[in-house]
Amino acid sequence: MTNLAKRKKAELRFKFYGIFSVFLSLLFVAILMQNIFSAGIGGFYKTVFVTSIHFDQNLLNLEDNPSEEQIKKSSFRKLIKYNFNELFKEYSKDEIKQIKKLFYRKIDIELKNFLINNPEFLNQTTNVDLTTSTHIDQIHKGNFDRTVPEKQRSVNNLQLNIYDKFIDEKKVKKVWNSTYFTSGDSRDPESAGVASSVMGSVFTILICFLLSFPIAIFASIYLEEFAKRGKMTDLIEININNLAAVPSIIFGLLGLGILLNFFGLPRSTALVGGIVLSFMTLPTIIVACRSSLRAVPPSIREAALALGATKNQVVFHHVLPLAMPGTLTGTIIGLARAIGETAPLLMIGMVAFIMDIPSNPLEPAVGMPAQIYLWSESSERGFIEKTSSAIILLLMFLIVVNFVSVYFRKKYEKKW
Amino acid sequence: MFYSVLTLFVLSFIGFYLGKRKSIKLSQNSKLASLPSYYGYLAMLYILIPTLFAWLFLLVGENFILEKYLTMVLKDFLIPMNESEIQLFFIKIKNLSEGASFGNETDIELFGAQKIIDFKNLFLSSTYFVIFLVTALALYLVNKKISPAFKSQRHVEKIVNLFIQLCSYIAILITVGIFLSLVFETINFFGYVNPLDFLFGLNWNPNRAFVIDSSDVIDKDILKDAFGIIPLMGGTLLVAFLAMLVSIPLGLMSAIYLAEYAPRKIRDISKPVIEILAGIPTVVYGFFAALVVAPKIADLGQYFGLDVSSESALAAGLTMGVMIIPFVSSLSDDVIGAVPQSLRDGSYALGATKSETIIKVILPSALPGIIGSFLLAISRAIGETMIVVMAASLQANLTINPLEPTTTITTQIVTALTGDTEFDNPKTLVAFALGLTLFFATLLLNYFALRTVKKYREQYD
Amino acid sequence: MVNTIITKNLNVYYGDKQAINDISLHFLKNKVTALIGPSGCGKSTFLRCINRMNDVIDICRVEGTISLNGLDIYSKEIEVEHLREKIGMVFQKPNPFPKSIYDNVAYGPRIHGITDKKDEMDLIVETSLKKAGLYAEVKDRLDDMGTSLSGGQQQRLCIARAIAIKPEVILMDEPCSALDPIATSIIEELITDLKKSYTIIIVTHSMQQAARVSDKTAFFHLGNLIEEGDTSKIFTKPDHQKTNDYITGRFG
Repeated sequence: MTNLAKRKKAELRFKFYGIFSVFLSLLFVAILMQNIFSAGIGGFYKTVFVTSIHFDQNLLNLEDNPSEEQIKKSSFRKLIKYNFNELFKEYSKDEIKQIKKLFYRKIDIELKNFLINNPEFLNQTTNVDLTTSTHIDQIHKGNFDRTVPEKQRSVNNLQLNIYDKFIDEKKVKKVWNSTYFTSGDSRDPESAGVASSVMGSVFTILICFLLSFPIAIFASIYLEEFAKRGKMTDLIEININNLAAVPSIIFGLLGLGILLNFFGLPRSTALVGGIVLSFMTLPTIIVACRSSLRAVPPSIREAALALGATKNQVVFHHVLPLAMPGTLTGTIIGLARAIGETAPLLMIGMVAFIMDIPSNPLEPAVGMPAQIYLWSESSERGFIEKTSSAIILLLMFLIVVNFVSVYFRKKYEKKW
Repeated sequence: MFYSVLTLFVLSFIGFYLGKRKSIKLSQNSKLASLPSYYGYLAMLYILIPTLFAWLFLLVGENFILEKYLTMVLKDFLIPMNESEIQLFFIKIKNLSEGASFGNETDIELFGAQKIIDFKNLFLSSTYFVIFLVTALALYLVNKKISPAFKSQRHVEKIVNLFIQLCSYIAILITVGIFLSLVFETINFFGYVNPLDFLFGLNWNPNRAFVIDSSDVIDKDILKDAFGIIPLMGGTLLVAFLAMLVSIPLGLMSAIYLAEYAPRKIRDISKPVIEILAGIPTVVYGFFAALVVAPKIADLGQYFGLDVSSESALAAGLTMGVMIIPFVSSLSDDVIGAVPQSLRDGSYALGATKSETIIKVILPSALPGIIGSFLLAISRAIGETMIVVMAASLQANLTINPLEPTTTITTQIVTALTGDTEFDNPKTLVAFALGLTLFFATLLLNYFALRTVKKYREQYD
Repeated sequence: MVNTIITKNLNVYYGDKQAINDISLHFLKNKVTALIGPSGCGKSTFLRCINRMNDVIDICRVEGTISLNGLDIYSKEIEVEHLREKIGMVFQKPNPFPKSIYDNVAYGPRIHGITDKKDEMDLIVETSLKKAGLYAEVKDRLDDMGTSLSGGQQQRLCIARAIAIKPEVILMDEPCSALDPIATSIIEELITDLKKSYTIIIVTHSMQQAARVSDKTAFFHLGNLIEEGDTSKIFTKPDHQKTNDYITGRFG
């Protein structure tokens, strides 16, 4: 019986390896999610100093009841200087300069916008939420090591003392970072946002869908319903299978070589990005559509033919609608993959510094994955957080897309 | 451009209504061979197809014609310039014509820009003119054709069938396109560098090529040692190997456990969760590899007294391996599931344990399929770009030490094309040569993978 | 007349559906017992209980006792792998492993650790193939794939494979239903020969086959045991009307 005992032991060991592998894989998912989430959740909030500002009309060179245009044109520099000197009376000029660095360098724009939205505060004193610098932002979020010697820090001791003082005076708070969602890329982590990359991705995927979806369906219909089996169809099938396995970067090279160089289409645009991605997505949709078409029972086709419909009518009126759910599922899967693609878009130049939100597919744009790539290259800690936040958004979107496809699949599975 | 397309479609819809209306009018006198809508569709197609072709033709030709026109108009000015100066000039006046001005343009540049604007306006009007002309012609032809006896449905269906047939050829077109674009530029590249030096060279130093200006006579000797692909292949294979070390055991064992051992509930939850790993964009993995994995490995190495680079092949390889786990797992799962139950029954009936059945009966009979899935996984690893771009190095290094930095083929493709060098430089062109190599390598792997899987399937049919 | 296998009040459920109803049967040593009855009456289910192959199916629930030589096969002392060394099975559709003929037969002895010496194994393979009546046809090509043989040969290979681990009982689930008449008759002759050394329980759809090879017969209908006894009696003067109806072809 010892032989059997040995075998039983081997059985348990083997089973354990299996459980361990599954466990490790699940663990990886968990670690990945946890890391990204903890790094990025802070990016949706920004730290502000609640500062008392006096909006002196004279310092701003404004008349009574100024228009929005006039406020926009005036310079806030003197106002800021005056207020800072007032707030930090006990500090030297040099020190005040350092204190100013605790704030985001573009607070003049913030004050401008505040006054435009609240013109009643002209000549009044009120508390304004002013964005802190990215360093303070990171300190407040706990991502900063204060024990490092002063010379190696980006924030000196004086600045840290002021920060601590503000904390004691309860003048530091975290607010929802709406600029993250409304602005485009920026050199400063404080004002960098995902709006331009989201629109870039939207346009790119839209074009990808508009191109690949119809062509894939038509090609599938032809291959499944009309084509005679022969050398040509075999060649097409081989090509489709090959294309599905080609590395994505090759499609980028194709876009560069033919779309940009030969056709002279505008570089860095969502249009070219969409075309390149549609090359990639086409095989995926074709495979899904074909298997859905095949799954439609011949009885339905026969019934339609028996009523005198032409082959075209049978296919377009009866078979295709029934194959739609499966096709859509495959399409969603293909598009989800395309949304996350970066390499081919790098090849066609969709990796520039895009500040403005593109308004049509012909403007230079950047996609979300490429934006993540760009931000990750920066060594600023603020950008690390922004990158992680963008990743959270991207992943959330992909999860939603996946749920939608699973929902569709379950809902329309085998209704006949 | 947008409005001309819009006009095109609007005209086609107008054609549809006109055609349909005429056929309905005719039907009052005699019976129609097809439904009125089909006469409408016919009119629409007769308008849409020729105008679409004309529009595309004009679109593609616009740039060519523009260049010819400018060369003609500015002939005297351009003669003393060389090729690259001319290109630069054209780019400048093009930007100028779109409003990008620095305020210091010369008269000739302003003149050139104005000419571009004039040309574009003229071209736009001609485009509209052509569209309307073709539409009118189409309507005339269709009008003659519409008669009660005319079987428009058959015609329309024939056109539709031709169209969908063409759609199916697009797959071939894309492959041809890939081939052409890669081969064409690779041939350009081989004009600078000897193919043998490329394929068998042991040194990769593309920065040597930046001293070259395309107008100078190129000293090919400098380039001889600059573009050897061997270290890149070594790096690619090293990273792929490390990835396989992670993904193959974990992927295969997970598949085996979930297919043969796990209770339904665990399988139903674990499978989709592991699939999540496959849905995460590679740029996220790259970020994770560069930010979390690489420093941890470097720290761990220091703890053991090893010298670990912050851009080690290990960091990229391990992360890539995690990404590929679901790939191996789901392919293996399919393959294991395809083994008929009768084989399992035969083994159990002889008194074998589950693990013995799996190791001695199921895996050997599923082996071709499993090897096929491994080959596909390797192909995926070789073609992966973002993880290595973000986590691995740019430094070519032929080594088998995973703790050292190394670069891969895909990384170099990205580097070559996201730099500032102009297009004709071998430093940029090498990207296409690398791409062609990659294309062939993955094509071969995929071919063998699919063939083994196919052979395996035939065993059970 | 020794009983090797005895079932007592056996009830088998697939989920909520009951497949076997309170069956008590005994099987005599070195005799061939045939289980007959129309499709879906539970014969195969019953057979699979005896070597606990139904353990492989999640929703299958077994109640009652089955004993081998007096020992309850579901008792904690018995390891199922050991049980299956004692009770072998041949399936309806021949299922040789995609390995060589030699390795097919050697598989069982190898995993049970019967021997690891080459010449001992060679002897086991040769003896088993001879007992299964296949040796003469394959002795020169033992390295060929088991799947390259004809249907009848494959089934004999499966029998050889089962015999190689020296079972006491061989269960056969419609072993000839996938074979042509000539192959069938070869196997039937084999069964008559094998019973000298083994106890055989055979499920069969063919009454003629049952009449030809078996000593005892049990008639199943809708999960119930209707009648059992000597084969000659069952086929000439059955006690039950239902048995008579089945034998004479009124249904089934």
